[in-house]
Amino acid sequence: MRGEIVHGDGNIKISGRFTVKDLDYVSSALESESSERVTVDLSDCKSIDTCIAARMWSIAEDRIAKGASLDFQGMTPDIEALFKRFSALDDKPVPPAPPHTIRYNFEDIGDKVQATWESLSGLISFTGQSFKALFSGKVRGSITAYYMEQSGVMAVPIVVTLNWLMGVVLGYQAGYQMSQFGGELFMPALLAYSICWEIAPMMTAVLVAGRSGSAFAAEIGTMKVRQEIDALEVMGFNLYGYIVTPKMIALFVVMPLLITVANFAGMAGGLAAGGIFLKMPAVVYIAEVRKALIPFDLYWGLIKGLFYSTIISVTGSYMGMKVRGGPASVGKATTSAVVVSIFLVILVDALMSLIFIHLRPGLSL
Amino acid sequence: MFLELSDVQKSYLDSSGSKFQVLGPIDLKVETGEFICLLGPTGCGKTTLLRILSGLEKSDRGEIGRGAGRFGYVFQQGALFPWMNVESNVMFPLKAIGMHGSECRVKAERILKMVGLYEFRKSFPHELSGGMQQRTALARGLVTEPELLLLDEPFASLDARTGINLQEMLRNLCGRLSTTVIFVTHNIEEAVYLADRIIVMGHRPGRIVRNESLDLKWPRDRLSNEFTEVLLSFRRTFEELVDPSTSSSS
Repeated sequence: MRGEIVHGDGNIKISGRFTVKDLDYVSSALESESSERVTVDLSDCKSIDTCIAARMWSIAEDRIAKGASLDFQGMTPDIEALFKRFSALDDKPVPPAPPHTIRYNFEDIGDKVQATWESLSGLISFTGQSFKALFSGKVRGSITAYYMEQSGVMAVPIVVTLNWLMGVVLGYQAGYQMSQFGGELFMPALLAYSICWEIAPMMTAVLVAGRSGSAFAAEIGTMKVRQEIDALEVMGFNLYGYIVTPKMIALFVVMPLLITVANFAGMAGGLAAGGIFLKMPAVVYIAEVRKALIPFDLYWGLIKGLFYSTIISVTGSYMGMKVRGGPASVGKATTSAVVVSIFLVILVDALMSLIFIHLRPGLSL
Repeated sequence: MFLELSDVQKSYLDSSGSKFQVLGPIDLKVETGEFICLLGPTGCGKTTLLRILSGLEKSDRGEIGRGAGRFGYVFQQGALFPWMNVESNVMFPLKAIGMHGSECRVKAERILKMVGLYEFRKSFPHELSGGMQQRTALARGLVTEPELLLLDEPFASLDARTGINLQEMLRNLCGRLSTTVIFVTHNIEEAVYLADRIIVMGHRPGRIVRNESLDLKWPRDRLSNEFTEVLLSFRRTFEELVDPSTSSSS
């Protein structure tokens, strides 16, 4: 049966039982009293639920904040216990908000720099341990072959398609610009250099980082969450040798091969663009490409592949190993693996470009 | 003395970078062949202590002296390798210690028969029930016949009946193999049923608040008066830990 509230002249008498269904009834009765001092008599109140008690408590606090008062009298022990819980919550210290001072901002920057440095030094140490395991342990043939299939064979269609499209776009745009000055014949050489020196290795690395780097991080992160990594460690396995080196070896083998495939796919795209948009015969295009390229241009892509494969396999594994807690951190590790891998690939690419200029015959400044 | 810990402590950094101590100082001695249950409320550092004993984590302070020999570890969720069948999972630790071929298989088959999973040796973990997965994990932990077996709440996620069956199996197996066991649990009845000695750990930082050998004879009857008395005694200790105000009223 619903409870009853009688109010007037700063006195409110609450009788009977109240539940969440009576929330509006109780609220409007308590808020309707405009006197500065209001007394609530709960001596005939049999019970109230947590929701009603919370609303009463919050109305009382609002009144106190405005300089008025709302006093509860005649509470049963149960109701008093309910109110005590809210009062305990109010007594809890609220952590101070971080001050927005110049000093705080510098400290914040310092913390972030320190965290980045710790991550980077962790990655360098992890890379060292992985190479140590690579040269000292035995190769797990079947699992390495599995990663070669997953990261290499399965990636061929997307690598070929994207690099072919890049070849078409570059071929068309370069050809169109050059045709303004009657220089269409230089398009094959320009395209071959762009593809072999930069586009094919970079596009392949980005694709492998997105496909395999993320997969490595997710796989190891999941193993970490399911305590499988702990189980391997407890059994005495070298985690670097068991988990990381098969991935490294697989990418060492497949990355140069994928880059070689990407080189040919990109140049085939240029051939198609030359034929369709510039009406350039295939024999002319091929002859110009052969005249422009030297074997070093193709080998350079393979050398880049070795560096990129190290970055992608080690970064993916490192991010997976850093997973702590539940499945949500696996998602974060996967994202970090892709972002950090691509960043490092571009950084290394920039450094290698500087070296390339001095190493390639006929290109010294 | 098989295991001796003195002044072992462990701290972590929280998200704001400040240090908080989760464990210790802990001083503990474990005799060879003893079955110890580490009992305590969630978050009191039981698992951290087990991870320190296994070498998965390092203590900040203190010394740990351990007798020679292998150790096994059974995780809360089994941590079976999903790409391997039951037999391969159980044989895996044997390969890790350099054992090969038929010897490996014979040992795995022997332990699988002991835990009643020989017929399921070609099944994969996802094809097994929770109880069977934990039996596989137990077999994997015991297959190397370790001198020390560490178990981290291995039966916590199982139903009561399966848990009781596995408790009996664990106790029998460890008795037969004379293994020293450290078993982490927050289940008081499980601890009283299994342990030669119960060590109760208090809230953070985890410390030993009660260390008591049980006089209960084997086989233990869960319905006997002696069992119930011990159970109630530890329940009171446990409740005082969770809510210290109950100590004055009891």
